Amino acid sequence: MDIESLIENVANALTAGITIGCIYGLMCIGLGLIFGIMKVVNFAQGEILMLGMFASLYLVTGGGILAFLGPYIGPFVGAILAGPIVFIVGALLHKFLISRVSGLKTAGSIDDGHFGQLIVTLGISLILQNGGMIVFGSTPFTVRTPLSSSAIEVGLGYGDATVFLNKAKLIACAVAIATALALYFVMEFTRIGKALRAAADNPTAATYMGINVDNYYRMAFGMGCGITAIAGGLMATYLSFGPFVGFDYVIIMYSGVVLGGIGSIMGAFWGGLTVGFVQQFSALVLPPQLQNAMIFIVFLLIVLLRPQGLFGRSAERA
Amino acid sequence: MTQITRRTALAGAAALAGSRAARAADPAEVKIAMMVPLSGPWARSGLLEQMGARMAVDDINAAGGIKSLGGAKIKLVEFDAGDSAEKAKDAAQRMVAQEPDLAGGFGAWLSSFTLAITEVTERAELPWMTLSYSDAITGRGFKYVFQSSPTADAQAAEVVPIIMKLAEKATGKKPTKVAIVGDNSASSMSFYKPLKDHVFKEQGLTLVVDEVFAPPLSDATSIVQKLRSGKPDFVLLQSTNVGDDKLLVEKFAEFGLSAKKMPLIGGGGHWCAPELTKLTAPENVEGVIVALADWPGKKAAELGKRFVERTKEPWFGHDSIFAYAHVSILAAAIDMAKSADRHKVAAALHSMDLTTGPADLFPDGHVSYDEKGRRKGAQLCVVQYHNGVPMPVFPESIATTPAFWPKSS
Repeated sequence: MDIESLIENVANALTAGITIGCIYGLMCIGLGLIFGIMKVVNFAQGEILMLGMFASLYLVTGGGILAFLGPYIGPFVGAILAGPIVFIVGALLHKFLISRVSGLKTAGSIDDGHFGQLIVTLGISLILQNGGMIVFGSTPFTVRTPLSSSAIEVGLGYGDATVFLNKAKLIACAVAIATALALYFVMEFTRIGKALRAAADNPTAATYMGINVDNYYRMAFGMGCGITAIAGGLMATYLSFGPFVGFDYVIIMYSGVVLGGIGSIMGAFWGGLTVGFVQQFSALVLPPQLQNAMIFIVFLLIVLLRPQGLFGRSAERA
Repeated sequence: MTQITRRTALAGAAALAGSRAARAADPAEVKIAMMVPLSGPWARSGLLEQMGARMAVDDINAAGGIKSLGGAKIKLVEFDAGDSAEKAKDAAQRMVAQEPDLAGGFGAWLSSFTLAITEVTERAELPWMTLSYSDAITGRGFKYVFQSSPTADAQAAEVVPIIMKLAEKATGKKPTKVAIVGDNSASSMSFYKPLKDHVFKEQGLTLVVDEVFAPPLSDATSIVQKLRSGKPDFVLLQSTNVGDDKLLVEKFAEFGLSAKKMPLIGGGGHWCAPELTKLTAPENVEGVIVALADWPGKKAAELGKRFVERTKEPWFGHDSIFAYAHVSILAAAIDMAKSADRHKVAAALHSMDLTTGPADLFPDGHVSYDEKGRRKGAQLCVVQYHNGVPMPVFPESIATTPAFWPKSS
């Protein structure tokens, strides 16, 4: 390979890694938030991603209320609005199902409710997959935008070497970063964030301080679902999807959360970003069919060498 | 209280005997199975097969059913092969257990699924027809599997010379560099082997990019970047689902390598699924050449018109015509066998030699199977997207328009 091609390959892998990694990062934050605050491992998070995709689809296409925004702006506004819609779904799921096997109700039990959580979230996952199949059918969908097949071309100043910045992914990346920063601001500087962190650190003490822990857990679960749904809406602008799409991404979510540091919410973002980088850079030297295998090799190395994750401290939470 | 007299008892017995006789005169239904992916990434192809199969059943039943069985109606029993070979195999086991009186069946679209389910159907000695491409499907010595497509290795040997001729005619020079991009499913792997073993060498081609991925794709940047660096004269695309096709053609367009500039040769019926032009802008597929195992020709024009009216799909294509053909071939075999017994149906399929009826649904106009279960003389078809519609360009028997080759190559 000549130097020009090498420079171009590395530069395109770098930019693709950043853009895709940021979207993965947002996807991972949702799962990380739920685990960080509630210590619930949500096996239905992939299906929450799927719900975000469909919410965005129905807002934007056909007779959707955002159809008037057109194919350039509508898909991204739709992705952002998928967040509040799926937040409500998440809050309802928590109220009627998750709260029965988590929070103060199970505090102090032998398994802290983990077995119940496993069964309930797996059950929700299966119901959403098969319910999605009944409601949406098995035909693949996408939120069509001309931006998904066009790029901003940036010359690298070395021969014809060029970086192609996919416009849809670039906007999706900007929305992902803005959402992650907004969450960081909420968690660090607002009363809600402090209450959520208090409920995560010591639910019993938080109750004594007048914090309604169950309500804040509901909010955390809803926020975790809503944030992953926004990521889903953004991914829907360049991917095709169906009711079973969540399965392909739930493994990436878990890898990102563990890489970033289990319990660390912002670490989950960096974990997702790392997964994006590994996926793109491994393709420079390995066949593409080993891209996902490479993620697991890095995952296992992190578990072996730094069990608390890349960006987490062993006792860090929220 | 009503008393049962000897006269009423005799009258009742006579009525019962009469109704039994009537049931015996009414021919029983003949069940055939369809197992295709109706969920997961390959579901769209399965749905297209389902439409073709249901139409064939309705047409056969409306025409009087199976004549040699007194007009017995065909009943299609449908099964979902799902999204993995394991699920397909489980569905096949359920099928043979639940439906012991099947006369035959067809499916399961993706070669990896077909390889799995035919292990089950062969043990059950159930005649099984398939459009799947992998040569391994009929390379295992099975007696009850019938493959109507040209096998993947035959397709590989056939498609490259066709493309070379087309390129030479359009540009005046023979291509020298080729790229392969595709997934690692069984049919794709069968396709790559002869290409790399001898076809490229025989055609004087150098393989400059060889990118094999695990489906479904989440991003195609690294793949298309390598094509940009490798600068092949044409690309053979062996993805196996519409989602990956969309991702690839959009990435090609993004990198300025759409089929209008870089010749893209897709393989398989999913490239002509109407869904592709709904998932991506039609200009992204414009000029894409697709090699596939069957496409409706002039003799199937009327059938195609009825299919479009019935289903509201934009065209009658590969997956639907194969399902229609398989139901028709099975019906013909049952008629020949004068029985719905699976062993007699299998024997009829082995001895069948049709040049009319279902044979009109293939470009070579012939339905007979060799000792391996492969359709004799199965011919490759080539279509090309013209103004967002796949148009047949090869062979002569089905071609309605000439192929074009990108001018910049």
